[in-house]
Amino acid sequence: MREEWQGFREGKWCDAVDVRDFIVSNYTPYTGDASFLKGATPRTEKISAKLKALLKEESDKGGVLDVDTENVSSILTYAPGYVDKDLDIIVGLQTDAPLKRAVNPFAGIRMCEKACDAYGYKMSDKVRTEFKYRTTHNDGVFRVYTEEMRAARHVGVITGLPDAYGRGRIIGDYRRVALYGMDYLIECKKADKKAYGANDMSEDNIRQLEELAKQLDFMEQLKTMAAQYGCDISRPARNAKEAVQWLYFGYLGAVKEQNGAANSIGRITTFLDIYFERDIARGELDEAGAQEIIDDLVVKLRLVRHLRTPEYNDLFAGDPTWVTTSEGGMCEDGRPMVTKTSFRILQTLYNLGSSAEPNITILWSQDLPQGFKDFCAKVSIDTDSIQYENDDVMRPVYGDDYAIACCVSAMKVGKQMQFFGARCNLAKVLLMALNGGKDEIYGIQVAPEGEVFDAGVLDYNKVLDAYKRYMSWMAKLYVNTLNVIHYMHDKYAYERLMMSLHDTDVERLMAFGICGLSVLADSLSAIKYAKVTAIKDERGLITDFKTEGDFPKYGNDDDRVDSIAKWIVESFFEELKKTKTYRGAKHTLSILTITSNVVYGKKTGSTPDGRKRGEPFAPGANPMHGRDCEGALASLNSVAKLPYSCCRDGISNTFSITPDTLGENEQDRVNKLTAMLDGYFVQDAHHLNVNVLNRQKLIDAMNDPTLYPNLTIRVSGYAVNFNKLNKNQQQEVINRTFHEKF
Amino acid sequence: MQSDMPRRGNIHSVESLAALDGKGIRYEVFFMGCPFRCAYCHNPDTWAGEGTMHPTAEELVAKIVRYKPYFGKDGGVTLSGGEVLVQSEFALELTRLLHEKGVNVALDTSGGVPLTNSVKSLLAEADMTILDLKFYDDDGYRRYCRGGIENVLATLDFLQSRGACVWLRTVVVPGINDSEKEIEKYADIVRRYDCVSRWQLLAFHTMGFAKYDKLGIANPLAGTPALPKDRLAQLQDYADSLIGDRYGKETKSL
Repeated sequence: MREEWQGFREGKWCDAVDVRDFIVSNYTPYTGDASFLKGATPRTEKISAKLKALLKEESDKGGVLDVDTENVSSILTYAPGYVDKDLDIIVGLQTDAPLKRAVNPFAGIRMCEKACDAYGYKMSDKVRTEFKYRTTHNDGVFRVYTEEMRAARHVGVITGLPDAYGRGRIIGDYRRVALYGMDYLIECKKADKKAYGANDMSEDNIRQLEELAKQLDFMEQLKTMAAQYGCDISRPARNAKEAVQWLYFGYLGAVKEQNGAANSIGRITTFLDIYFERDIARGELDEAGAQEIIDDLVVKLRLVRHLRTPEYNDLFAGDPTWVTTSEGGMCEDGRPMVTKTSFRILQTLYNLGSSAEPNITILWSQDLPQGFKDFCAKVSIDTDSIQYENDDVMRPVYGDDYAIACCVSAMKVGKQMQFFGARCNLAKVLLMALNGGKDEIYGIQVAPEGEVFDAGVLDYNKVLDAYKRYMSWMAKLYVNTLNVIHYMHDKYAYERLMMSLHDTDVERLMAFGICGLSVLADSLSAIKYAKVTAIKDERGLITDFKTEGDFPKYGNDDDRVDSIAKWIVESFFEELKKTKTYRGAKHTLSILTITSNVVYGKKTGSTPDGRKRGEPFAPGANPMHGRDCEGALASLNSVAKLPYSCCRDGISNTFSITPDTLGENEQDRVNKLTAMLDGYFVQDAHHLNVNVLNRQKLIDAMNDPTLYPNLTIRVSGYAVNFNKLNKNQQQEVINRTFHEKF
Repeated sequence: MQSDMPRRGNIHSVESLAALDGKGIRYEVFFMGCPFRCAYCHNPDTWAGEGTMHPTAEELVAKIVRYKPYFGKDGGVTLSGGEVLVQSEFALELTRLLHEKGVNVALDTSGGVPLTNSVKSLLAEADMTILDLKFYDDDGYRRYCRGGIENVLATLDFLQSRGACVWLRTVVVPGINDSEKEIEKYADIVRRYDCVSRWQLLAFHTMGFAKYDKLGIANPLAGTPALPKDRLAQLQDYADSLIGDRYGKETKSL
């Protein structure tokens, strides 16, 4: 056994890369409560004050503190950077100074130029010249996009596509750096390359070999980057501090290389806890010291930034980076995977104050220890910063070493990667179906020409028949568009470092998405159960509806309409599967909007459910605001009916409740929130964002942002600082259903 | 002769997450109709008339059992209103069916209804009763509720004789019953009933005012301010000191 591994239980992990086996053989479940935790040390207080000052300065400067416009971001571009060279425990920044953003044009140079301009910077001629002779991912995609793909993108029936920025949603197994050291990982990749070299040189095999060469290049570079910070990551980590540092170097290299929308860090605390336990047992570390290391890691994670355009911020509001961490869950052997370090990362929300990042995600199981459930609920009530996903539905699919990327996307760490696919607007497809394939706003033909419905009362069966035809068209176009995007991303913006921390023989998922689910379900319900009259405008297009009579609305636990919502996701998923994906990726589907429900609403005409043109959709799988009239649990029950079996990329639901409605005092609120989470998830629901706050507080914050500079709220699968949302987005959040009772 | 038609409830509305009226997470059913006309009522829309739902007990039970996953060991259903005892026969049928499904039932009542056989059966069948002790004497009831204290005390006597689990609640309104002296008078009554395991004071609030305007009903307390939270806490401490610690005294387990 290697000297760095002394004190660990041996297993398969010693002879091949197998982090899961290391964890399961060595971790110590913790079933107690939060009383062992320690507050911030004086050092942490100092760093925390520095962090707050930096964030304030960034906010005062309009959201961007500084940009390095001279250099192109990569692992070795910048000299080492520190928050405070003397006080940093965990070192490493994306550029040479905290919150200074890098220019990363590999996925698209126009996006970078626009972003520089938007914040008053100018991209250097040096960068421009370097990229004059280079094809970006964005160039590649637009060489191939068809007229139809361009039209669908233009009218916004598919939007948010990763065709001009990094696709993200890939989680490198950064734990491997700590456990094995880079030299062993490089040795394994070289052996893989040798093996692939013995195959016939098909196109697939050649691509694989080139990718391995790219991976090896960046693995060496990562060692150099760490050496610049005085660390030798060629060997395994020797103690907890090194384990955290090595792991973070892996992640840091990845976010220097890639500016993907979501670069999540994975499931790290159960792994790290093994090192903490060993150090504590050896008498080398105490609880305050352990907490201090995790606090400092989290400081670094809160500083991750990418340079974005204002249009990008409309889709993904609040400057998110989705440094998602995955906590808890159950081991396949029946033990909880909760450790003291799961508690420690939650404790950072007290020691450093509440924050949107990292995006702490609790993998909830009915069998989690009560002490952990209670602490999570308390943290939710106090900070509104964490989210919950159902381990009991994900574990049977992904095992017990998966993690969440972005908001709700599960994948086996180091064994699966995802081709991120944004989402398509299924509510808009309904309007296209009624208008014979024409877009209701631009008036142009987007989908194949079909029968235009007459003005007058709509017949449900006839509408449904037309809808099925257009849904089928949409699905095929959507898969093909993503195939183009991911072919080009692999070709021109391949994630060298992240993929080097995956098994070479990786499984690929292609993640499709739906938005407008509740609008579509309620619209179909209105046509079926009420009387909906279509109204044409002067162009002969159906652009408005008169809806008479009541109809069942999604969000009231009413099967008449909830079954329509279920039908929509099931049939769309079936349609998607009919078209082959690039690299044999597995089709998956999410119901998640991030904050793009506002933009999607803007781009969609009036709908038969009574929603007027331009009004926001509900986020994710949420019922439309104000339509759930039997209370919070009825709304949860409706969402819980959507089948995870065909939405394996996640079903996002955001829930806001006032403290006084949840319970009389803190203990009562904790008890009720855990009961609520148990009750929701036992029905095989997938995800829940929880906000416990008063609507008035948000209104006050909107009117005077200085009142609550760190006000964090959960939106769709992630948390944001409320003050970083624009006014439209703030208003939409305020309009969302708050469950309150007098 | 009874009709073969199934009995139907007259229901104002339902709320799937009510966390304040009873233990644990409660599903709350608001019944239409009330014998009182309390000056500070925040649900005047439930006083009389037809509600939005007229379900049979079976239909309502079918809705409610969907929420069993949330109830855990403490939660369940709370039948409220309006006044649930006004529809005692329907409520009794509902309670019995819920008990068959293993769902705990609490009543949230003013106790202002005569003790008929079906009211008694309902009070006996329910797992606990939350009773509003609005005033400490008949005068107060006559003045502010347009009813009497007689039925309320009879209801409490009945619950006491059954060894039932009872919570009392009192809305404290500025200028009407917010002095220590008045709290003492309430306490004199509360002390007579050792079935009471909790006496909770609630602050009068003004959030129901909009309903009066909407219904076109004169609001007798239109100028009255809400009771401040700290004053409520003071009075609650005083009330607790007068009746002693009764928590954990539930005679019927929930």
